[in-house]
Amino acid sequence: MLASFLSATLLGLSGRVVRVEVDVAPGLPGFTIVGLPDTALQEARERVRGAIRNTGFAYPPRRITVNLAPADLRKTGASLDLAIAAGVIVGSEQVTIGGGWALIGELSLGGEVRWSPGLLSLVVALRDRGVGRVVVPEDGRLEASLVSGIETAGARSLSDAISILANRRLRRRRLPAIDGHEVAGAGAGPAGPQGAGEESRAATPRGEARARPPGPETAVMTDEEAPDLADVRGQGEARRALEIALAGGHGLLLAGPPGSGKTMLARTVPALLPPLADRAALAVTMVQSVAGSEQVAELVRRPPFRAPHHTASYAAMVGGGPRLAPGEATRASEGVLFLDELPEFARDVLEALREPMEEGRIVIARAGRAETFPARFQLIAAMNLCPCGGAGAEPGTCRCPDGVPDRYLARISGPLRDRIDCWCLMPRIAPAELLAAPEPEPSAVVAERVARARRIQHERNDGRQLNTRLRGRSLRRACRLGRQAEQRAIWLAELEGMSARGTERLLRVARTIADLAGSDAVGEAELDEAARYRSPLSRRRLALAG
Amino acid sequence: MIGIGPGGPTGDDASRVPTMARDRRVTGDGRRTPAPGDDDGRGARAAGAAAGGGHGLTDEERSAWAALSTVTGLGPIGLGRLLAVYGTAAAVLEAALAGDHVADVAAGVRSQPAGRAGRRRLGDASSPVHARALGDAIIEAARDGERLATAIAEHGVTAIPLVDDAYPARLRAIDLPPPVLFVLGDQQALSTCHAIAVVGTRRPTDAGRRTAARLAAQLVRQGASVVSGLAVGIDGVAHAAAAAERGRTVAVLGSGHGHLYPRMHRRLVDEIVATGGAVVSELPPATRPTRGTFPRRNRLISGLSDATVVVEAGEGSGALITAGWALEQGRDCFAVPGPLDAPASRGCLALLREYAGEVRVVAGLAELMEDLGLGSSGTDRAPEPLAGGPGPDQLGVLEATLAAALVERAQTVDELVEWSRMPVAAVLGAITLLEARGLAVGVFGRYQATPRLLAGSAATNLREGRPTG
Repeated sequence: MLASFLSATLLGLSGRVVRVEVDVAPGLPGFTIVGLPDTALQEARERVRGAIRNTGFAYPPRRITVNLAPADLRKTGASLDLAIAAGVIVGSEQVTIGGGWALIGELSLGGEVRWSPGLLSLVVALRDRGVGRVVVPEDGRLEASLVSGIETAGARSLSDAISILANRRLRRRRLPAIDGHEVAGAGAGPAGPQGAGEESRAATPRGEARARPPGPETAVMTDEEAPDLADVRGQGEARRALEIALAGGHGLLLAGPPGSGKTMLARTVPALLPPLADRAALAVTMVQSVAGSEQVAELVRRPPFRAPHHTASYAAMVGGGPRLAPGEATRASEGVLFLDELPEFARDVLEALREPMEEGRIVIARAGRAETFPARFQLIAAMNLCPCGGAGAEPGTCRCPDGVPDRYLARISGPLRDRIDCWCLMPRIAPAELLAAPEPEPSAVVAERVARARRIQHERNDGRQLNTRLRGRSLRRACRLGRQAEQRAIWLAELEGMSARGTERLLRVARTIADLAGSDAVGEAELDEAARYRSPLSRRRLALAG
Repeated sequence: MIGIGPGGPTGDDASRVPTMARDRRVTGDGRRTPAPGDDDGRGARAAGAAAGGGHGLTDEERSAWAALSTVTGLGPIGLGRLLAVYGTAAAVLEAALAGDHVADVAAGVRSQPAGRAGRRRLGDASSPVHARALGDAIIEAARDGERLATAIAEHGVTAIPLVDDAYPARLRAIDLPPPVLFVLGDQQALSTCHAIAVVGTRRPTDAGRRTAARLAAQLVRQGASVVSGLAVGIDGVAHAAAAAERGRTVAVLGSGHGHLYPRMHRRLVDEIVATGGAVVSELPPATRPTRGTFPRRNRLISGLSDATVVVEAGEGSGALITAGWALEQGRDCFAVPGPLDAPASRGCLALLREYAGEVRVVAGLAELMEDLGLGSSGTDRAPEPLAGGPGPDQLGVLEATLAAALVERAQTVDELVEWSRMPVAAVLGAITLLEARGLAVGVFGRYQATPRLLAGSAATNLREGRPTG
């Protein structure tokens, strides 16, 4: 007899619905899976066989053929196990079932149903296909229930799942009710997170308003381990640069000798960012569901902060591999990608970040298919001033030959430099000065200003973008330069021998400074300060002798 | 004694100046007594003058001089012997190419050009090895003449032979002057009425930078030119301050013009040339800087100047070598005293102690001008206004406050914020404006006054101090 269930498999970040057809026919015993399965799926035969036998069902000594449709889609992973096993049991007429259930889950030989990565995306895909009910691993029940418009049932084991299908009552405790976390914006379609950037226009202001931190989210935002800004003494310029960069989403580069506090400053970032709005939160949650090692229990409101080591490979950064796993750039989407020791990263790895910084996404092309990953991260980078690290510390510490520090900075390619809006050189501060420095502002105060500035940008900018994405006409419109301010902008830009791109960078940063101050138009003072954060390589041209 | 052998002064010898100068053979009136072995007298200078002055020096002769100056092992003395025998530099090269034993002449073995019959083949067993090498080097230089000429033209440099009228008289007067001076910029800058060397450590204190800048600015305002060594630190500040006041300044390189060192001063070189100054070297353009070339060029710094002022010098600083050369050359030497416990002042204090009566103390800018005979009151030129160029004409109150703070010492933004009691944002904006005007510069996150600000601050009323309220 033929049995058929819907299930889903993961492709990149999004789920694809797969129809699992199981034909249990007379003939020599055998088990064949057709429909482009990968190795993990081929091995489903063994898992399914074991699971059926060990949960008290009979494994039929018949000819079993499993077809996975659509036939041309490459299926990966073990998320189809449960559907195949159910197909075998139903196909061999061991139970009769009610209709309308889809199944997702990996099986163990003992018959337990295990969570599979990307469960959230898989459930979203089924929901979008119009499936009304889905059996998911009990482990992933919370995660699956984040998706509204689809009924979910959690199964611990294969027999649980069959009971659900057969509409029998489960002899288990009731599941706790999950409150409040339906995903309002998740109806946007199969594109899921990819669509988040382009379609963010569609997100309603109401959704934004809902993003104000209610109870549970604020609890998530505080991290005991992360340092508070109040712990970072001195470094007024860098603190200010960080605040501006976070407010406007600008790329930031912190350069200074070891011990100047670059890394510590960067680690305060998570506590300074406002919680994510619904759409961004869903995108982040999906990425975490796919890339994470464990299931997510609730919508992730906290912007991701990723700090890959500088030995990271190309695939680790942009994503890839046989299963097209998302890389660090995607995991940092809607949050911050922190690259410590920037010049030490492999050149091709850094160059690969150019496209996502411009487009907010990464397209990975493989033979036969191209996958689009979201990569709307904000880049924060830190570096020493020279290879030995001594430059900028006490005189004589640097042992680099003449010209080497300059070249070290130049190791960051021009195109990447152009995409970093804010640059800041941090001095090393003597311990005595540190102790004498006044108590600085705590993170909470700065976070409040950042959130307010972001709100202003969301309301003003087209497409609810942050200032860092403003270009050309929309940038000029947002800046509302007066005559005097325009003169000043031209003067500052000319002084630095700034390119058109450099001038826009100046305006963008000035716009954010004005937003932090809550002023409508960009004035001379904002432009003056914005020019402070330009690249030191253009700054050098101004310097006469030291 | 100062190490001047047939090969010219070498770095090793020159670096011994401060201690060895005790037995300098300087008589009371500053003239040097002849030493045994120096019977060739003033070497190339005397011979060149004998060969007939610098009027109408042909391009060929200029190139020949330049070519001979590139020969390693051929110093002023050897060159003098060659010129005495052959008459012109071009003739020396011609003879070398023709197979004459020029190396013997240079070594003083022969004092006559060999006749046709007397010519021996190069590599003759009777020639000592070093003479053979020297001969080969001269032939090579003769053959490479064209390449050298190209390199000279490429860097926009002029080669001035010792016998040229444009050769600075002050330098010609020293013992064993370089046979050829390679000059970038205005040659007039080498022959100004007054030329004062301002030298010092590469790691100056804020006070040292301030002194150097004010001193250099004051000197050019009085019409003198400022000579220094283009190094980072005091040298660079002196050059930059002079250039900022649109005055003439002369930088003496320790390398060829093709290998400017330090590279960060490339822009400064442009400034120096743009303001009518000159960048000179005794080394051909392709010469790379080495440890030995820098102490060696110090004798040119003092030689091009009427007096040398050491602003700050640590122990073993190259500026002390320059001071030693100045005394050796019979020029005035001054040292700026500093705190007893400051490492950057140790050298100056040692100079003042060991050469009491010879090295004079700088008791103040006005006093120094008086000692230098530059007139102490009434500047010849008004200082350049601090706010210049396009953009806002006036320094704002905050900018002036910050400028005054930076003149005192280099500071971080935090310190400036505390000093001015203004918000970070405003301070950062004001720093940008100061930087845009060339008055301040960020060095690794700390801001310091540029030589221009340091030079101008003495004359401009910037000292508003800490704002009240």
